[in-house]
Parts: sequence; structure tokens; C-alpha cells
Amino acid sequence: MPSATVNKPRPSELLSRLTSAEPEVKVRALREVKNQIIGNRTKKLSFLKLGAVPAVAGILADSIDDVTENNNCNNTNNFLVQSAAALGSFACGFDAGVQAVLDAGAFPNLLRLLANPNEKVVDAVARALRMIYQSKLAPKYDFLQQKNMEFLISLLNSEKETVSGLGASIITRSCETNLEQKALFDAGILRKLNSLLEGGSLSQRDASLESLATVFRNNPEVISKFAGPDIGRPLSSIIDLAKDRYPRTRLLACMCLIVIRNASPHFLQDIGIKTKLIHILLELLDDPGQVGDEAPFAFSSLIAQKEDLQKLALEANAIDKFHHHIKKGSLHPRRYEGILLALADMCSKLESCRTKFLSLQVCFFSGTNYLAQPNQVKPWSHSRLWPPMVFTQQQSLSLLQVLNLVADALTDYNAGVRAAACICLKSVTRSIKNLSAGYFMNETIVIPLVQLFLDPSTSVQVAALGATSNIVVDFTTHKSIFVQCGGMKQLVQLAKSMESSVRSNALWALKNFVFQADNRLKEGVFSELTASLLSSLIRDPEPSVQEQALALVRNLVDGCINLIEFVFAEDGLILGAIGRQLQCASKAEIGIQGMYALCNVASGNEFHREAVMQLLFTQMGDKNQSFVVKFLQSNDSQLRTATVWTIVNLTCPSSPGAPCRLEKLRNAGIVSQIKNMVNDPCVDVKLRVRTVLEQSMAFGDN
Amino acid sequence: MNKLVMNFLVTEGYVEAAEKFQMESGTEPDIDLATITDRMAVKKAVQSGNVEDAIEKVNDLNPEILDTNPQLFFHLQQQRLIELIRNGKIEEALEFAQEELAPRGEENQSFLEELERTVSLLAFEDVSNCPVGELLDISQRLKTASEVNAAILTSQSHEKDPKLPSLLKMLIWAQNQLDEKAAYPRINDLSNATLEDPTV
Repeated sequence: MPSATVNKPRPSELLSRLTSAEPEVKVRALREVKNQIIGNRTKKLSFLKLGAVPAVAGILADSIDDVTENNNCNNTNNFLVQSAAALGSFACGFDAGVQAVLDAGAFPNLLRLLANPNEKVVDAVARALRMIYQSKLAPKYDFLQQKNMEFLISLLNSEKETVSGLGASIITRSCETNLEQKALFDAGILRKLNSLLEGGSLSQRDASLESLATVFRNNPEVISKFAGPDIGRPLSSIIDLAKDRYPRTRLLACMCLIVIRNASPHFLQDIGIKTKLIHILLELLDDPGQVGDEAPFAFSSLIAQKEDLQKLALEANAIDKFHHHIKKGSLHPRRYEGILLALADMCSKLESCRTKFLSLQVCFFSGTNYLAQPNQVKPWSHSRLWPPMVFTQQQSLSLLQVLNLVADALTDYNAGVRAAACICLKSVTRSIKNLSAGYFMNETIVIPLVQLFLDPSTSVQVAALGATSNIVVDFTTHKSIFVQCGGMKQLVQLAKSMESSVRSNALWALKNFVFQADNRLKEGVFSELTASLLSSLIRDPEPSVQEQALALVRNLVDGCINLIEFVFAEDGLILGAIGRQLQCASKAEIGIQGMYALCNVASGNEFHREAVMQLLFTQMGDKNQSFVVKFLQSNDSQLRTATVWTIVNLTCPSSPGAPCRLEKLRNAGIVSQIKNMVNDPCVDVKLRVRTVLEQSMAFGDN
Repeated sequence: MNKLVMNFLVTEGYVEAAEKFQMESGTEPDIDLATITDRMAVKKAVQSGNVEDAIEKVNDLNPEILDTNPQLFFHLQQQRLIELIRNGKIEEALEFAQEELAPRGEENQSFLEELERTVSLLAFEDVSNCPVGELLDISQRLKTASEVNAAILTSQSHEKDPKLPSLLKMLIWAQNQLDEKAAYPRINDLSNATLEDPTV
């Protein structure tokens, strides 16, 4: 017997029964559809494909007409309740379902039915609408229209939980701009929400916490109006709810407080509250459901960019706690992603946090290593290295376990988890101490990372490149590992990507890779890249790509004189591109990187210096002012520094052509501009300006 | 005090007692008493193995409960599978596991493990004596039933547990603590709650 699952009718069969003329058969089929799809995503999808949503929406529409014709019979109400419940379930947590419900035109009918006299109908309809309003696809609600605001207030004032909950959901989903936030405040909505916080039921409290957070987000004005001058009662009721017995209420109250704090930092400065928030969120991680999945994201928004909170979290053993959860394994992807991002935020600023992370479960062995001081970073080399570290002797750590843990996440099947693992790695590898020791440049990490360069998801690609950018700044001899596993060639390929964010991040990684690398490595990178590709990247339509390409040139030609020849390859293709870009630099960063590249070229021989001179003075004829003068007058001290540095190299007294070049610079008004800068507010600029003036005096300038 | 008693009767689902108590004491319950009857019907359906019936009843009560609570939904489906196996409907059980439960296992690793454990019941001839035999135990039904009960209560914004027993526990704990430290008027007879002076 080909048994239908436990005597259940097949979806297609049910669907035909929905069109039955027998009300009994029809309503039973409707109920059956509802019962099959509730909680079951697969079933929702298969019914959706069969076109069940328009069929159910049709029954709803027909029944509304019945209501108006023959006042309220039982059968009609039953149709309304069952069809609204089925539509609600299609829309529950399932965007394709929401879209289908909207496409079927059910939305306005559901809204109309909120005024139905039957309580059960109103309940079912309000639930269905709330499901729709939990999706991003929900129609935008225009709060700025008076009648809409009145309708919203009537919803919030309803005795019925489902209806007032719908009102709150509409706010949570639809309120976006500061103007809308203010309109809601002016209409007295916040007072209403606050009274639900204090006297409402569990679900009303949760819903109003969410709405309050939405109305407060990035709006200090509304927050201070709400809280009043004395940080009074309204906030204290939210603080109380952060200690509520229900985990979801605790989470939502914490999120609301975090929104308040992030918008108006002067609120909730009390260290007790800060510590409390950290502890509550860490405890919520133990919740097995959705609350536990969302808790690490709330934690991230609490500590991101805030060193004081990161420190408190470190003291609260946050890193151990996150590690404990990862170790347990079989995490829900959302939670896994959240924990990795929380770790990334923890390790983004403080070295103490990174040290803690890297020492998790790590065995110390007795020997100590003495690490050489790194070479001083030359002012004309560029790489993103921060924060500056004092190098001390350090204990060697066996990082294998921690790195394995990250490597596992790098190869996870879920794209969000992979990207989060890269972002976490990027934060951790900001530790110059460990970079210098070459701890990250090993196969465990590099091989999976390089594989992610070809990930189908752009956000994973970009995150992997970000982590790579840090790892390849390696002061030891390990850089060859990266070449051996094909990383360098891949980066060059990605520099040709269609996505501008991938191009700029690939160039960023290459720039850091060649930072203080030996000649052989740089030559390898250049021959892979070629002068024509590099010059076209310098002229890329995207400013961030231009900036990174120029910075890459800056690092490539730094060091040995032979390397400077790169910019002269193929008839000076690269040098020409730099010149054109400097003429029309759209932002200071481009000027800075371009000038440092020229500065490095000018550190070569006479021929190199003359080429740079020529570049500075091309097109001088058509314009009244050289871009050099414009850069010297810039507000950006780094741009001024880079420009004066270039002049220093061009007028170096040991070179025979210097007097002639100085003469030209004088005639162009550049030297007098520099003379005006002896008291520049930036010390760096001031120092270089003095050098230029000393050099100019050496040639008899007074 | 009356409110505490009403809270106990409502949470535990003694609907007739609650009605009588309401008439005699005039205490208003914080919930529509009719919903207790519905909730008890669901609980009873699970306890007697009619899981499908229970699911339909929950959905009539509030379709959101199972739509937003994947763990509870999975446990109910798992209980259905257990009942099929208990009744020896092996083919149906396999088909049900494949069609209804396997997709949930794909969505969630821990569901998959529980599903594997349940399906392994099929591998034993003498299920009462196998390592996963406790799944067939009546206590598994009770566990599922009380999970549904708690979910319905939460959806009605009601506490999952009655307040009275935890208050009594707190009283006993506090008295035990006090015993070590002081002589005080103690409640020994909990049903009358009379304070008895300490013997000097």
C-alpha cells in the first residue's frame, strides 16, 4: 500500500478540496493545510509552490464579502479564523511566504478585518499581521500621516494583547528615520509603551521593549526627552526588566539599554550597570534557544569600539565563556557567528584581550624567547600596524589549539560563520607581538584562509582578505609560506575582481605582504601583477582602490634602488598613472599615498629624481597652481608631511642636480610656500620643513 | 492568599476547583478559565498518546506557539514517532521520520542526534531492554506533555510554575536558616500557619 503519511491527504489533494463547494469539506481542508504547515518550513515551501497562498487568500476575501452580506454566521467566522491563521503561518519566519501573502492581496483584507466584531477573528487576523510585520518585506507604515498615527494609537490602546502587540510590531519594523521617531514621541506613543512596560503582560512588555529600542535608536533627543533631566523612572523600569525572570525579556531590556547608551553615552555611565549588562548577556548565552543565539550580537553592540567595556568584559571572563561555548560544538550557526563576532570585538583594541584569547588552553613550556627589536618602520613605508607595542621578552605559546579552533570555523559550511571567523582572526592578528614572532603565518591558518579567497560569498572574500592583510605583515622569514600555498597569485587574481571591495582589499593585502619584504619577493609580486595591471588599478574608478594601488607602489619601491625601476617599466606606465591621479586626487588619502610613492622614487638616483621633477611640473602650464602647492596648503597634516618629504629627497645636497631643481621649485613658488610653514602645527611637517630650508641654504639661498 | 490559591489552581489546571473557588471566595482568576480546559485537553491528549490531536488543539488555541518554538514542535513530532513505533507501525514510522523529522534534523544538529536516538528504537527486537528504551517510557510522554503545558502558559503570559509551592519552599528554607541562629515564633503546622512561640 503506498501509504500517504499516516493517512494524511497529499498537498495537491488538499488544495483541490479548498475549492470545494461544500463548506464542511472546505473548512476541514483549510484547517488541515494550517496544521500541516505550522512549524514546518519544508511543508510551507511545498504548499507555496503549489499555489496554496492565493487559494487561501481567496477564501479570506470571499468570506469578508459574506460578512457584509449576511451578518456574522458561525461558518463565515470559522473560514476567517482558519484562513487568517494559515496565512499567518505562511508568513511566519519565512520571507517567501510573506511575499506570497502580500502578492495575493491579503494584506488590506486582513487590516479591514481588525474591525470585525468577533474576538477570535480579530485575534487570528492580528497574529497574521504581526507575522507579516516581523519580516523586512512588510509594507512601509507611514507614521507621518495623521490618520495612520491615530490608527496606531487605537491598536496600542486595545485590551487585546494580540492587537496591542501588532501596534508595537508595526513600530519596530517600520520606524526608521529621526523624523518618524520624533513624530511617535510627539504623538505620546512612548508614554503608552512605557505604561505597557509597567503594567502589561509578558508579551506586551517584550513587544514594547522592542518598540522603545527602535524609537530610541541613534536619537539622543528623543531619549533625553523620554528619560527627563533626572534619569528618572522610565529608565529604571527598563533597568528592572533587565533582571526579569524571563530570558527573552532580559535580553530585550538589555538591547534597549544598549541602544540608549550607544546613542547618548552620558546615560548609564554607572559602572555597576555596565558590569551588570555584561554579566546578564553572558548568562543569556546559556539559553538553548533564540535568546541565546541573539545574546552575543547584543554583547557585541555593547562593547564594540569601547575600551572601558572591553576591559570590564575581560574581567568578567567573557573570553573564557565564549570559548567554552565554541568548544561544546554543534552550535546553531547564528550563535556560532555571534560568538566569533563578539570575540572579534573583544580583541579589536586591547592587547590584553588578544593575549587572553591566544592563551586559551595553551600549554606553556619553560623556555623563553628573546625577540629582536624590529627594524624601525621607515616613514616612507606604509602598512596598517597598530597599536604600537613595546616589545618585551615573551613566553612562547603553543597556539595550535586556538588556531585549530579558528581554522575549524574558517571551513564551516555556513557563510556567516566563515566571515565571522575571518573577522575574529583579523582582530586577533592585530597583535604585533605575535605577528612578529610569525605565529600566524602557518599552514593551519593560511591554507584555509587562501581557500576562502574564492568563496562564493563576497562578504567572506572581503573578510578573508582583511585577515590576510594583517597576517602577511610578518617580520620573519615565513612570508614564503604564503607564496607556496598560492596565496600571492590568488591575491593578484582578486585585484581584477568585479567587486570594488574585493579589489581594494586584495591590494591592501598585497601592500602589507610586500611591506619590508626582500627583493626577490617583491620582484615576484611585480612580475605577477605587471605594470599595465597596476597602472590601470591606480586609475580605477573607485577611490578606495586607487588609494590601495598607490600604497602598494609606495611599499614596492621602498628599499633597494633596483626596485625603483618598477615604476619606469613599460615606458613609465606606472609613473604616468601616479601623475595623472595626483592632478585630480578626489581625497587626501590618494594624495598621501601618491606623494609617498614619489618620495620613495626620489630617494633613488639622479635619473629618478629628474623624472619625479618632470611629473611635478607637467601641466603646470595650463593651471595656475601646481598640485604641490595645493597639497602643501592642505588641512591634512599627513598630506603636507608626504609632500615636504618628497621635496627633501629632491633637494638632497649630495646630488649634483639639486641646485637646478631647487631653482625650479623656487620659481614655482614652492619654496616660499614651504618657508611659510616653519611653524606648522604638526611636528613632523615642521621637522621636514627645516630640513628643506637647511638644504636650500646650503645652495646659497637666503 | 486567595490569589495565591487561585494561581495554584489555574497553573495546575484544576478548572472545576477554580470555578468553585471563584464562586465561594469571589477571587477573580487572571486568565479566562475556558483556556484552562483547552490547555488540559492538550496535555491529556499527549499523555494518552494522541499527539496529532494535541498538535491540532494547540494550533487552534494559538498557531504561533508551534510556529515559533521549533524545539517544542520537534519534541511533539518525536513523540508521534515514538507512538508509531510503540504501536508497531514500522513502515509508517519510517516514512514519518523521513518526511517530517529528517528536514528538522537538517536544520538543527541537536535535533538530528535526538532523531537518530529515536529511530534506533527500530533496531531492537526487545525495545523494553535496549539502551534507548526510556523513550518508550510513560515518563517521556509526561515530559513532552509538561513542555507543551509550559509553552501554552507562557503564550498566555502566565507563569509556568505556581507560586504557592515555591513560597512554601522558601518559608521552610528560611526557618531552617533561622533555627541555627535564633529562637523565634515558628510555623510548624503549615496547613494552619499558626505561629508557635519558641519553648524557652
